[in-house]
Amino acid sequence: MRLRCGEETFDVQVRETKRGLEAQVAGRAIRFALERARPGVFVVRDGARSTTLHLVADGTVLHLSWDGVAYALLVEREGARTAHRPDPDALETPMPGRVAAVKVAPGQPVAKGEELLVVEAMKMENALRAPRDGVVRAVHVAAGDRVVPGRALVEIE
Amino acid sequence: MPLFRKVLVANRGEIAVRIERTCRVLGIPTVAVFSEADRTARHVREADEAVGIGPAEAAESYLSIERIVAAALEAAADAVHPGYGFLSQNGDFADAVRDAGLVFVGPPGDVHRRMGDKRAARRLMAAAGVPVLPGYDGDDQADAALLGEARRVGWPLMIKPSRGGGGKGMRIVREEAGFQDALASSRREAKAAFGDDAVVLERFVERPRHVEVQVMADGEGRAVHLGERECSVQRRHQKVVEEAPSPALGPEERRTLCAAGVEAARAVGYVNAGTVEFLLSPDGSFSFLEMNTRLQVEHPVTEAVTGLDLVRLQLESAAGRPLSLSPEDAVPRGHALECRLYAEDPSNDDLPSPGRVLHLSEPAGPGIRVDSGLDTGSEVTVHYDPLLSKIVTWGQSRAEAIERMRDALRRTVVLGVPTNLARLRAIVEHPAFAAGDLHTGFIGAHLRELTPRPCPPLEAIAAAAAALALEGGRDGRERRAAPDPWSSLGPWRLGGGA
Repeated sequence: MRLRCGEETFDVQVRETKRGLEAQVAGRAIRFALERARPGVFVVRDGARSTTLHLVADGTVLHLSWDGVAYALLVEREGARTAHRPDPDALETPMPGRVAAVKVAPGQPVAKGEELLVVEAMKMENALRAPRDGVVRAVHVAAGDRVVPGRALVEIE
Repeated sequence: MPLFRKVLVANRGEIAVRIERTCRVLGIPTVAVFSEADRTARHVREADEAVGIGPAEAAESYLSIERIVAAALEAAADAVHPGYGFLSQNGDFADAVRDAGLVFVGPPGDVHRRMGDKRAARRLMAAAGVPVLPGYDGDDQADAALLGEARRVGWPLMIKPSRGGGGKGMRIVREEAGFQDALASSRREAKAAFGDDAVVLERFVERPRHVEVQVMADGEGRAVHLGERECSVQRRHQKVVEEAPSPALGPEERRTLCAAGVEAARAVGYVNAGTVEFLLSPDGSFSFLEMNTRLQVEHPVTEAVTGLDLVRLQLESAAGRPLSLSPEDAVPRGHALECRLYAEDPSNDDLPSPGRVLHLSEPAGPGIRVDSGLDTGSEVTVHYDPLLSKIVTWGQSRAEAIERMRDALRRTVVLGVPTNLARLRAIVEHPAFAAGDLHTGFIGAHLRELTPRPCPPLEAIAAAAAALALEGGRDGRERRAAPDPWSSLGPWRLGGGA
């Protein structure tokens, strides 16, 4: 994901690890855990130390408050794509997580929008759906597998 | 028996909400007025009744004497509280309310008019023995006459429009060469803003402090003060941080200053709550600046150190109750600070920054008071003052009030609209502020240290990216539409926007 603050650009890669999340940003690896307290409010933990993050998106503007200071960032959607252009025939997860369910098998015909996989991340389930009509060519994951963005999980032909 | 049958609050935002609060406590039903922009605003919802008074433009709604008086009559209110700003110091409004058979919560029209004219006010104060700066407040306004008077006053000096306020048309002239140009531009600005180009000349004081005395008077010669406030931290002649008592005054200076405030109120035949503003020079002398014939924005710091409810005192006074305050009521207990949260962008020359409040979290705790007219979903429009809310802290000492303010500001969150919150934090955390080393140029002098960093730390960027991914995923599922949750970023919004 690419976030912009004024003239500065930050490419952020977040992945889930055994102990929480790890973000790569500006050449640094930042480890933390994240929980959603209520809409717009998150608890960010670094060991026992916790910080409250207030976050709300308005279009592509991301408003956040960290340690009592408010900031606005721009989410560059196209930037995220240039960093990694997804194959239209391959299904990926948008976020690091664990496969909760596999709903299809190779050779099975699917309709656009049909649920193919369920990925769970931070206690929230996220359904991954067929991007178009077709037939499942391959399934590369099984329930319980850990998955990250940038890797084809299901391929459709 | 309540003081009034029903009070119409001729204002909006935090001050309308604050006045309604005291009326509720006193068992008086309230009527809010609203423009098209404020149909569902908090001041409307917290009132018992509400009457629409026109379009968003203030000139056709909150500044319309006719519409507000009509609304009061329609709602069968028997009193009108003007708040501050808008029509609060307009003598014609006070008269129109009285002529409609209603009670105006404030002084009568002629008092507003006398104090609204700086020349008349200066003459009145000088005659009453209240100190004024060396200057000129005469009727001969010819350029040549003013230049002659300017030489007598000496350089540097201030040119101030006789009418109006808010810093409009004010010019500092450092030497004779710049006088004619400054006079011409001051007059143009005054004429455009106030329809009157008469000016007052006053000696310019370097690094002054702004102190003011809260007074209450009953119009029959009884007047008391409720102590002073210091409001030296300003930008563009607008107060930003205020406190009570002033850290600049010892007991003797406090007595002298407050006595001068009472004298000023008596001289003008003052009625109800008012504020006499003074400039305090570095040498310790003070001079009359102006009198505000209404409730002040910063009145909560006086309430915090006296335990009094000034709106209640105003309503009692307007209902004809005798003034029952004793000098002990004015003795401050502890120390109070107020920070004004403005919808202004410190990273963009403090320009007003309209928008919608998408997320809001206000502080609470021992010694913390928040006067706010805001909600999540509130639209901050270009039509009105950018003041969003006021955060007030009290402590047994100034140091404790500052500590509580630091924490309160740290736990204040407003997202969606740029605010001066980070600047407020920088001010109250500044060593010069802690030392009480204040003057009206404080923000300018320390601007570099008071301008917040525009970009968040990497930890915040990392957490924001992860939180966004989390919410993006959630949204993608809930909407059961886009297979790529990133493409659903557009309509995604948290925090319950309206």
